[in-house]
Amino acid sequence: MTTPRQEIELAVGFGKHIEKRKVDVPDGDAPPWDANSKFTVVGTDADRVDGLAKASGRAKYTYDINFPGMLYGVIVRATIAKGKLDVLEVDEARKMPGIAAVVLLKEVGNKVRFVGDPLCAIAGTNLDVIRDAMEKVRAQYTTEEHNVDFLQNPEAPVLDGDGNLIDAWPEHEIGGVIAGAEASHEGTYRTEVQTHSSLETHGAVARWQGDDLEIWMSTQATFGVRGELARALDEKGHKPASVSLHAEFVGGGFGSKFSAGVEGLAVCLLAREAKAPVKLMLDRFEEHTCTGNRPSSLMQIRAAAKKDGTLVAWDTRSFGGVGFAPGGGGVTFPQHYIAEVQKRGAHKDLVCDTDPPRPMRAPTWPQGYFGGELFLDELAGKIGIDPLEFRLKNDGQVIRQEQWRMGAGKFGWLQARNPKPGSPRDGDDPRYLRGAGLASARWGGMGNHGGRTPHGCTCRIHADGKVETRSGAQDIGTGLKTAMAMLTAEELGLAAGAISVFVGHTADPSGPAAGGSTTTPSLAPVIRHAAWLARQELAKIVAQHLGCKPEEVTFAGGKVGAEAAAKPMLSWADACKLIGPNPIETRGTRFPNYKGEAFNNGVCGCQFAEVRIDTWTGQVKVLRMLAIQDCGIVIAKKLAESQVLGAMIQGISYALHEQRLMDKRSGRMLNGDFLRYKITGPADMPPMECIMMSVANGHTNTSSVGLGEPPSVAAPAAIANAVYNAIGVPVRHLPITPDKVLQALAARRA
Amino acid sequence: MTKPPPDQPQEAFSRRSFLKGASVATIAGTAATAAATAATATQGKPETFGPGTHEIQLKVNGQNKLVKVETRTTLLDALRDQMDLTGAKKICDRGACGGCTVHLDGQPINSCLTLAMDAIGGEITTVESLTEGGKVHPLVQNFVHCDAMQCGFCTPGMVMSSLACLQQRGKPTREQIQHDLSGNICRCGTYGRIFEAVERTAQGAQGGGK
Repeated sequence: MTTPRQEIELAVGFGKHIEKRKVDVPDGDAPPWDANSKFTVVGTDADRVDGLAKASGRAKYTYDINFPGMLYGVIVRATIAKGKLDVLEVDEARKMPGIAAVVLLKEVGNKVRFVGDPLCAIAGTNLDVIRDAMEKVRAQYTTEEHNVDFLQNPEAPVLDGDGNLIDAWPEHEIGGVIAGAEASHEGTYRTEVQTHSSLETHGAVARWQGDDLEIWMSTQATFGVRGELARALDEKGHKPASVSLHAEFVGGGFGSKFSAGVEGLAVCLLAREAKAPVKLMLDRFEEHTCTGNRPSSLMQIRAAAKKDGTLVAWDTRSFGGVGFAPGGGGVTFPQHYIAEVQKRGAHKDLVCDTDPPRPMRAPTWPQGYFGGELFLDELAGKIGIDPLEFRLKNDGQVIRQEQWRMGAGKFGWLQARNPKPGSPRDGDDPRYLRGAGLASARWGGMGNHGGRTPHGCTCRIHADGKVETRSGAQDIGTGLKTAMAMLTAEELGLAAGAISVFVGHTADPSGPAAGGSTTTPSLAPVIRHAAWLARQELAKIVAQHLGCKPEEVTFAGGKVGAEAAAKPMLSWADACKLIGPNPIETRGTRFPNYKGEAFNNGVCGCQFAEVRIDTWTGQVKVLRMLAIQDCGIVIAKKLAESQVLGAMIQGISYALHEQRLMDKRSGRMLNGDFLRYKITGPADMPPMECIMMSVANGHTNTSSVGLGEPPSVAAPAAIANAVYNAIGVPVRHLPITPDKVLQALAARRA
Repeated sequence: MTKPPPDQPQEAFSRRSFLKGASVATIAGTAATAAATAATATQGKPETFGPGTHEIQLKVNGQNKLVKVETRTTLLDALRDQMDLTGAKKICDRGACGGCTVHLDGQPINSCLTLAMDAIGGEITTVESLTEGGKVHPLVQNFVHCDAMQCGFCTPGMVMSSLACLQQRGKPTREQIQHDLSGNICRCGTYGRIFEAVERTAQGAQGGGK
């Protein structure tokens, strides 16, 4: 399809860095915003539109859906890590009191691939009677030897006692460049498996009415999982006449909820067999062990630089600790420092008999940025150059250059930095060591138009003055709903709170899955387009009433009218009374991103952290953190800040606390609960600040870029660098738990 | 948890007293029978409960409600599945996350660690009580104003623990707020703004103002 286009000149960039750039705008699109646009709603501190629903406990998540006569469902899972299923008997369970349905999820003869591999699912009147029935399920296996440690995989590299790779680097000319450079360095870095730990577990409620299926699911991909389930049910001989899916409120996802999963299919089959609605929500152990994770990694890095700090070569080999199948274990190093240098990189996934990874917030990036940024601080130390200066030297991105300087000033970088790593700061109790670190963030997230089926959005204006904006995409807590309200309000000259927003139901126009920081940048232009079209419809009606031209009608401050008209301005309510019984209804279209280069093809950020180490206990306390971040033109400022602050807190968690511990003998996760799988809690919280920068990228009518992933990239690396500055030796293995700190301190003394 | 103020009965329900009670009961035979007997002992003769379901009366947000429970049914399941009070969330079901926090006789408790039968005779307060009759409690307003939430799944539990903190301390320090909320976890990372919401409420702010 070719759309007629018009060339428009925009002011793109930020602050003092504003350039004029011609962009190719599709005909029919709303006129693009740029750096000179003035806003009354966009970019302000408007409240989250569903904030009251959430804080009052009245929001209904999938877990909260109840129906009269609803049954509950549970999945029975394998207790061995590897082998073959020889016997699966469920007849006894089926006969237990209160049991309404049993469906098989694995057949005799199938492989068992990890502890938790699903065997069958049971529905009954409550969880207690189901637990009684579960004990009557009989499974027998032929077990095989299993391995749940990726470094015990036969293809894993050999490490020395300090955790460094000892195999020689494969021959390559880069070896000569590094050997002959003015400065060079080498190190091996490691991260552990992190589970997504969404607070609402995976699961769904399924209700059949005849052959029509209605599902409530805790998902990040309303349209994706609907299609997935329709196909899977068809294959099982239960083709539904229609499938409608709800995800109006979702209790977290972080990348783990793109698929309907075995639980999604199981609940539909149970409801079919039981002829009643069924709710099946996983428990916390299943959530930790059967719904994916961020895989572990091992990264060896060597690189070289000139005496002035300019990087000249970058050589890596990395390994990802994945589950029973390869894939998803990669690492991404900070490319913006090394775009111009000679490079080599090799990666291999190492399988073991566990639950496979799923994308987790900036998949592959926090690992590589931890290794890469800590490595750079070590190299900077060798050269004798300040880490900030080192970054400024090698970071070609103009936005981040500004962010580095702004952040360093705001944070008090030079004062926070420990001039003598490993020694207490003047005036401090000598038991404690303080230090400061920094790291960069980057991501794409320019949004997409949806390919063959472009994303849509409906805007309705009713005669009673109510305004609706509707998308079938989901808001998993990122703030899509609030962005929808603010964009619509901006076009119509109203307050964000005046807009009713509906998301998460497949009856509304389709939108993207909440992944890759694409939801808001994909939908913002189409939401605005729908509102802009609705505004034009209302302008026509009002113009007729006022006796002026539609293009003369203005919308501002809840008033509609035209200065040129003889009649006075109308209130919003009076203007809408002219509409009549049928509401104005417009359908926005998501045009492809504009042709030509955006000001920045992504987003930039940087973070700073100060830590205090207790040399007696090895405990790391984060004292304060600062983030500077852009996401194109900021729409909902307060919510954007929340997302960055949340990523920093998750970053503390990944840097200091989180690791999946596996029992080698049973192959079972030892800490599959929130008692022993530690995530950052209220008592761990340092003061934190986030500064949002607005950048007009000129790639869509709203210049919006995604924000979910980038702030989670920098935080763990900044903390690891701060620990290095405090104690004078790098801890190259996340999480930086007290044992590793004490070991590092002992090694330093020795 | 914090010390109850002097006007509170010292035997107010807590996780510790529950555990203590449960261990004694286990020695006696079945935990539920002993607990239920204790709950109804005022009626004179001991009653036996279980197996199967029993109709009990619970006082929730000032109203008496009849619910059918088994002796093993938790207060959380009774609230969520029988009364459709789904503000208290089931997140860990092990007392490790605080998502199911409700108040029993003014004390915050993990309703997932409390048997429904053990709440007989007590005053149960859930998060829904803070937005009854068209009024919104200032704490809830301030959660919204400070954007002290993202996905919102931990939020009702956070609100109830924050409420207990405010009721017991009046004007808590930042450190006291962090301490009192330590039984609650949030995965999205909203702690800082929760602390701000509690502080604003303590200062008498109603939310919305700038």
